[in-house]
Formats: sequence, C-alpha cells, structure tokens
Amino acid sequence: MKVFNKKGFAALAAAALLAAACGGSTTEGKTLTIGISLPLSGSSLASAGPARDGALLAIKETTIEGYTLATKILDHAVDGVHNPAQAATDVTTLVGDETVVAVVGPFNSSSAKAQIPVSSEAGLAQCSPSNTNPDLTKGDAGAALRGGRPVNYVRVAATDDLQGPAVAVYAKSRGKSNVFIVDSTDTYGKGIADSFAAEFTAGGGTVLGREGAPAGTTDFTAIVTAAKALSPDAFFYGGVTADGAGLFRKAIEQAGLGDVEFYGGDGIQDGSGEGSYIAIAGAAAAKSFSSVAAIENIPDKAGFAAKYEAEYGEAPGAYSASGYACAQVILEAIKTAVAAGEVTRESVRAALTDTATVYSTVLGDVSFDENGDTSQKIISLYEVVDGNWTFVEQIDYANK
Amino acid sequence: MATATGTVRTERVRGQFFLPAVITGFLALMLGLLGFEQFLNAMTLGAIYALIALGYTMVYGIIELINFAHGDVFMVATFVSIAVSTTLLGQTGAVLDIPTLIISLIVLFTVTIVVMALVGALIERLAYRPLRNAPKLAPLITAIGVSFILQNIIQFFVGPYITNVPQLFSTQWAFTIGESRVPLLNLFVIGSALFLMVVLQLFISRTKTGRAMRTTAMDRDASSLMGVDINRTIMITFLIGSGLAGAAGVIHGLYYGNTTFTLGFQSGLKAFTAAVLGGIGNTAGAALGGFLIAFVEVGAAAFGFGRWGGAIVFSLLVVFLIFRPTGLLGSSTGDRA
Repeated sequence: MKVFNKKGFAALAAAALLAAACGGSTTEGKTLTIGISLPLSGSSLASAGPARDGALLAIKETTIEGYTLATKILDHAVDGVHNPAQAATDVTTLVGDETVVAVVGPFNSSSAKAQIPVSSEAGLAQCSPSNTNPDLTKGDAGAALRGGRPVNYVRVAATDDLQGPAVAVYAKSRGKSNVFIVDSTDTYGKGIADSFAAEFTAGGGTVLGREGAPAGTTDFTAIVTAAKALSPDAFFYGGVTADGAGLFRKAIEQAGLGDVEFYGGDGIQDGSGEGSYIAIAGAAAAKSFSSVAAIENIPDKAGFAAKYEAEYGEAPGAYSASGYACAQVILEAIKTAVAAGEVTRESVRAALTDTATVYSTVLGDVSFDENGDTSQKIISLYEVVDGNWTFVEQIDYANK
Repeated sequence: MATATGTVRTERVRGQFFLPAVITGFLALMLGLLGFEQFLNAMTLGAIYALIALGYTMVYGIIELINFAHGDVFMVATFVSIAVSTTLLGQTGAVLDIPTLIISLIVLFTVTIVVMALVGALIERLAYRPLRNAPKLAPLITAIGVSFILQNIIQFFVGPYITNVPQLFSTQWAFTIGESRVPLLNLFVIGSALFLMVVLQLFISRTKTGRAMRTTAMDRDASSLMGVDINRTIMITFLIGSGLAGAAGVIHGLYYGNTTFTLGFQSGLKAFTAAVLGGIGNTAGAALGGFLIAFVEVGAAAFGFGRWGGAIVFSLLVVFLIFRPTGLLGSSTGDRA
C-alpha cells in the first residue's frame, strides 16, 4: 500500500505548517488548556450557555507569563438534553489531552456523578459553576464518589440541602401549607425535591403527594388530575426545564389550576429565551417562583454586567458570574502552581483545593472547605413578573 | 346434525359479542376505578397512541417491516401543524369564533394529513421499495436511518428546543358533570380519533382498495397473480398510515401545546408496544393496544406510581411476548392489513 502520494504529503505538510502558525507555542511557552465541559445545545443551552460565556470571558482577560492559555469546549448534551454518559466520555477525552490542567463544569449534578470518578482518578481539577447535589462532595457519598482520593472537585454554587429548604421557607412565607411535589427522578431533581419536602414538613407544612416524571415525559395530565383531587395550594417541581418543567406547568394551567403557585429550584431559572421554562410554559409561567444557588447581588454587579454585555451583546444569565468565578479560581490555582515551580495537574489540583486559600472572585471572597464546597452559602429567590424572572431576595446561610 | 350446527352458532355468537362485551366491561371497570377525569385523560392519551399504532401495524401487516421511522413521521407532523396554523391560517392561539375555528381545524387536519401522507409515501418510495426483496434486516436498519434523518432535519431547521404549538381549540372551554371538569378539547380529541378509526376500518373492510390491502397482507404473490397492483397497494398503505400519524400530530399539538424533535422516539416506542400488544398487523388490535397502554400509564399516575408508568407498560409488553406473542387479537390474522 502506498501511504503517501504527492498530493497527500503536500496536504500533510500544509497542515503541519498551519498548526505551527496557529499554536505559536515556540515563543509563548507551554500551552495550558482549560477544559469546559457543559451541555451546550438544545434546551440545555439556555441555562449552561451563559456559564460557558462567563468562563470564557475570565480566561480571555487573563494572561500567564510564559504560558499560552487555551480552552477546549465539549458539549455533553445529546439531543438537546444533558447526558451523563456523554459527560463521562467528554471528561475522559479531557483527561486524555495532556495539556488540560483543569476543567470548568459540569452543569448538572447527574453529569457530575458520572465525571468525578474519572477526573479524580486522573487527579484533574474541576470546578462546577452550578452543581447543587450535596452527595457529590459531602460525607460518605462524596468520599465514595471520588474513590477515597484527595478532593479534586470544587464548586462555587451552594448545595441543595440549602437550596431546597430556602424555597420551602419562601413558599411558607407566602402562606403555602399544602404542596404537591413532582421530581424528574434524576440526581438533581430527586435530591432537591427531597430537601424541599423535608424542610416544608418540618415547618408544619403538608406534602399532599409526590410523583416522579422522568425526562421525556410529555403527558402530565394524569399527575395533575391526581394532584387536583388533593387541592394543593402550591406545586413544587424538582428538575430542570429540559426534563419537562414547562410542560408540567402548562398542564396545570390547562386543568384550570393556573392560579396555584409553582415553585422550583435553579433548574427552571433559565431566562426567557428559546427553550426556557418561561418560553415553554408561556402565559402559564405567571405565579412561578424559583431559586438560584448563587449570589444575585455580586459585589460589582453593574460592572460585570457591562463587561459581559460588551463582549456578548446580552445580559448575563443566572450562572454567568458563577462560570466566570470558576475560571477565576482555576486561573488563580494555575498562577499559584506557576509561582511554586512546575505546572502539573497535581500542582493545580493541590493549589485549587487548598482550604487556606481565599479567592477574590466576581462573586465575592470564596474559599473551599475540605470537601470542596464553597464558603459562600447564598441562595437567591426569583419570581416571574411580566414574563421574566425578577430577583426577590437573597438568603445567606453562611452563619446559620 | 343438530349439535354441530349448535356449536357453530354458539361460536359465531360468541365471536360477535365477546370482544365488545370485554371492552365495555374494561371501560366500566376503569371508569369506576379512576374516576371520570382520569378516565378522560386516559381516553385522550389512548386516542393519540392508537392513531400512531395504526400506522405501525398496517405497515407491518403488509410488508412485515417494523417501521421505526413512523414515530418520527408523527413528530414531523406536529411541526407541519405549527406551520399550517401560523403561516397558512395566521393563528397563534385559541380561536374563539366558532365558524372560524371549524374552518381552521378542517384546514389544519386536511393539510397536515395530506402533507404527511405524501411524506410517508415518499419515504416508502425512496427508502423501502428498493429493499423490497432484500433480507428483512436491511429495511429495518433503513427505517432507523430514516428516523435519524427526520430528527436531524427538524433539529437543523427548527432547533433542538421544545417549541410551542398554537392551541387553536381553547383549552379553557369546559363543563362540569358533578365534581368532574370535562374539557371540550378532550372530547374533540377522542371524537376525531374514533371517527378516523371507524373510517379506516370501513375503508379496509368495504372498499376494493381495502380488500387489495388485506389480500396483499395475506399473500403478496397470490394477490399479484390475481391482478392486485402490489406497489400501488403498499404505497396506499403508507399514505394512510402516515396520514393517520399526521392526524395524531395535529391532535398532540392541540392537546399539549408543544413539541420537540425527540418526541417521535418515546411516542413511537409506546405506539409500537401498542401495536404488539394488540397483535401486530391487526388494526383493531393496535387501537385497543393504544388505549390499554394509556389506561396503564394514567392508572399508574392516578394511584401515585407515575414514576413506574413506563416500567409497567414495558413489563406488560414482555409478559405478552412470553405468554401471548400474537397479542390481544393476533389470532385473527385474516383481518390484518
């Protein structure tokens, strides 16, 4: 077999030239790649896209002397929905790329559950802007997930053991005492619904019923009719928009219960663009309430928004600042590693998870505890007003 | 001999009244068990499953192809119905003027059904006919390929989001019987689906083309020898099956008010299960299977086991495949078309 004909060889030479021209690595030193692993198509894009853009903005603003910063973006949405199996494949790809020193992502807790075992085995540092399931880091479950190895995964979002209760407290403050709960049966959806239910009942409320509707469910009518017979004064949905939150809300309105308030976690707070909860539920989205496991009133809110808008021509999303902050802490860790000598996956991981470090991020001062959880424990609450999520208040759990 | 005649007569009488009696009994049981509102939910969901299942079963009956692209034909129909409603009719929401509504619905159903019938026939002509005499596996894999093509076409041109469908028939029109709220939309959905099923049944049993379909299903070569145009008959089967999927797509849009490019997979799987439960190849069986699945799913949700709905349905499928592989009505193969 003749491997190289003249034409093929010429193409190969051209490709090599092009690669050299693009990389320019000879003059700027070693390339350090930051992987970005998020669900970036379909219904997931509305929520995860802003996190990616935030991270890219922070990376763009930073230069590290003697090194070239690169990014590698992998989308693990399959058919428009975040896919844990694809997330695991993607992190394996990132592990296989020697230049990758840290990863921003994933977005969804079920994806994190699939990724952490892989990244921890490789000792690859990871920072999630939005994972909220407590079991990813805390206690025996967290230790089991990382296989007893040192912590390599940190997150800047507060956890569902705070987020669920925050929504429960908020619902009760609005006079709700009988709730019907539906969850999407996955890690995030079931987790936040559990913590919501626990706090809601602890405070004297009643959970009238609990149902599960896996992602892809289109018919919610039977669940709504069953709920209607119990006359709830609120619904809670544990899950993300792509799982069916908007369809559920629409079915509720169609059954004549449009006046019953609808509560959810950060999974339904995804703006009002195409494929978002508000767009799908339409007029039925009124009287909906949600939370975000992140601070709304960041120290320099206007400054960040202006900077973000100048770059992307649109306002920041719910997790834009969190994505930015994740990139910030990773870049800080890389700088620490550079200062200490050699930049390796291990030196970046060790620097990132050092519990003594206080990072000055766009979210405010943040440090990570021995599990990799953030010291900033703030939950923000939102309400739909005139077809848009409007900030109501933020609750700080750091000292509670 | 008197006794022999007696036996024949008893069996004929049993055959005539047995099935309707069982169905009536089942419906009465479900009505009592679930209550009227859930009964209505199940009937509506069942109507959609049944319409899709008919297309599966007709195609299987006539060329023994499990047309995995059929669920996606249904999915495409929901998007065609959006185009018809918004572009052709200029409607984006409920039409409250009754005469306009009636005309709009007639146009919506007719155009979508015709478009989807043509799409179905085109798929048959391009993807399946060239493989008519190939091993069974070839058209099956082709069907999966067609399924992906349809999904990707929609994903490319419309986007991978959940998209809203204009609900021309107001979802708020309802009356109450006792404690139960009866939305007119549900009655409209069930009524139009049953109407289409009756028309289909009459077409298959009473017309010359219908007879050609039945004979082709029984023995293609013999029918061909008797002067039946096989290609034409198979084409008509695809036209009708896809047209029914078109109607199901319109109904899905009107009822749920949204769609997405992956809709066909789940719905297709459920409809396929319905067709197998009913006895694949048997049109009446497919319709029954569709309603049966809907009652199982709605029943599960009604009693708080909604998260197990899918598992129960597919367990039922396994049980049927083991103990009664010919399905509910599978034994009467003469009816298949």
